[in-house]
Amino acid sequence: MLKWFQQPAERACVVGLDGVPCSMIRRFTQSGVMPRLADIVARGVLYETTVTLPEISSVSWSSFMTGKNPGEHGIFGFTDLHPGTYTQSFPSFRDLKCDTIWDRLGERKMRSVVINQPATYPARPIHGALVSGFVAVHLDRSVFPARYLRLLRDLNYEIDLDAEVVRDNPTALFRKLHELLIARERLLDALWTEEKWNLMQVVVTGTDRLHHFLFDAYDDEAHPEHQNFLDYYRAVDAFVGRVYDRFAASGDGRNFFVLSDHGFCRTRHEVNVNAVLEQNGLLAFAAPDATGLDGISERATAFALDPARLYVHRRGRYPRGGVPEDRVEGILDELTALFSSLAHEGEPVIRRIFRGREVYHGSEASRGPDLLLVPVNGFDLKGRVRGREVVVPRRLQGMHTWDDAFVATGRADLVPQGRELTLLDVPQMILKSLHVEPMDS
Amino acid sequence: MKGFTLWFTGLPSSGKSTLARRVEEILLERGMNVEVLDGDEVRENLSKGLGFSKEDRDTNIRRIGFVAKLLARNGAVAITAAISPYRDVRDEMRRAIGRFVEVYVECPIDVLKERDVKGLYKKALAGEIKHFTGVDDPYEPPLKPEVVVHSDRESVDESVARIVGTLEVLGYIPRVSGGDFSASEEETIKRRLKDLGYI
Repeated sequence: MLKWFQQPAERACVVGLDGVPCSMIRRFTQSGVMPRLADIVARGVLYETTVTLPEISSVSWSSFMTGKNPGEHGIFGFTDLHPGTYTQSFPSFRDLKCDTIWDRLGERKMRSVVINQPATYPARPIHGALVSGFVAVHLDRSVFPARYLRLLRDLNYEIDLDAEVVRDNPTALFRKLHELLIARERLLDALWTEEKWNLMQVVVTGTDRLHHFLFDAYDDEAHPEHQNFLDYYRAVDAFVGRVYDRFAASGDGRNFFVLSDHGFCRTRHEVNVNAVLEQNGLLAFAAPDATGLDGISERATAFALDPARLYVHRRGRYPRGGVPEDRVEGILDELTALFSSLAHEGEPVIRRIFRGREVYHGSEASRGPDLLLVPVNGFDLKGRVRGREVVVPRRLQGMHTWDDAFVATGRADLVPQGRELTLLDVPQMILKSLHVEPMDS
Repeated sequence: MKGFTLWFTGLPSSGKSTLARRVEEILLERGMNVEVLDGDEVRENLSKGLGFSKEDRDTNIRRIGFVAKLLARNGAVAITAAISPYRDVRDEMRRAIGRFVEVYVECPIDVLKERDVKGLYKKALAGEIKHFTGVDDPYEPPLKPEVVVHSDRESVDESVARIVGTLEVLGYIPRVSGGDFSASEEETIKRRLKDLGYI
């Protein structure tokens, strides 16, 4: 009884399903694979969303947790370059330049519990509890407050699977995916009652891993792993259902949100963006045996970082950059024309091209790429250096998409009207559901 | 900035002094006043003449704790690197000092005997050194240390990154932008990103 009285008045609950496309949700909720999510959608709404660019988890989740575009939060990829160098860097949670929705709630003494949230490593204090997800390495740097480290260890909590072990072993992959799902739920169970929270949030990342390794099994009924693929989604659905039931038991359950951070599709080919630049004389290396950008030549006018971020090799910005500012626009035009016409066996490779200034706004925007390529589904763009061929066989079965992400919620009244939804709308809806003003952006 | 005490504890030769010196370097680079109270050095001066009975060991630790408390009270970071084998005295120091972060440098005794850089375990096992912690004197591991590092299977960089990260998370030192990952963490992250086709 005491616990009941202590519960905060306003509550919201969020389940993130990493890399689950809206089209898959529609199919699985209609075909009976995900009956619990079908029920939740029937009580509310399901919308397709687009996400911020590039369409990778670290960027998307940073956009979700801040409600801001990368030009404001400053995370443009899993990798970046140390300023003024060609040295690869790995942005961390501490490089995030904006407050998160959990900070916003904390300012109002509202507590958040956040479990397996990608792009939050190393963990830092929030008003509540945070357990970092991918790319977290060490458990004790993945948890705030530190007192929950013992709980994580007692639960044998694991952050992620070891891709090297499972990628060619479907049996091991599915076993580990189910184990990780159980681990998330056990931690959620523990923190549900341990913490007095206003926002409960958990992210399932096994969905993304499954898609990378076994997307072929999704809609090919003859595929030997098809049933296992569906069974994993049945387990995810049951998990979402149990979280919803628990949440709805203490209220009307409307402030329940399920979302993904990007879409997914089957990979047919990989495309080396830097090879395109090199073959067209736009990227050159000082020595024939150079293996990284640190070997780039002064003659290079552009280069790409993963997955498809194009940077003009500007004078003053890069040590050997030779492009003066007054030539940048001309080079961007040239790059746009080049990639617009890129084709493989008669099929276009690039669907859309954005200028950085079109999609990034804010104090960090100038650090971002000059051009972003969105491929036709099936062509997985890569920023590897010195890939000799433009189009090469795929290494993994699935790739991210910029569109076809989703949000499902019982709060149809909070959905912006008259335009298509983006991932950036979701955190604002969550804050509104808690009667907290949205992040300004 | 408020001072605090970073208290390393662990078996002989487990790596306490090495880690203490590396953390000292990082904190100095961040502009803090830092003093390392190394167990071996303290026994050469502050505690000269004390032996290795339980009573003398406790006296040694209380002296170290006293100095650490004075340093911390005056805004410095006091880093202690002594075996400090007894839990009750360590906990007494925690209560006395207040702003206290305990780092347990764990390493299996068999690994230490095998490693035995200073040759002390060999002498202790041969009976040439008496009251040697881990051989014929007890060591009581902490029950709730803020950080546990495993010097048998972690690199020094990895352990230091975790210690510094914990100090940041606990709010004892300010967070800094960039350079958040140790070399081994970066390698792990790089491998994972490659495995998922992100780089």
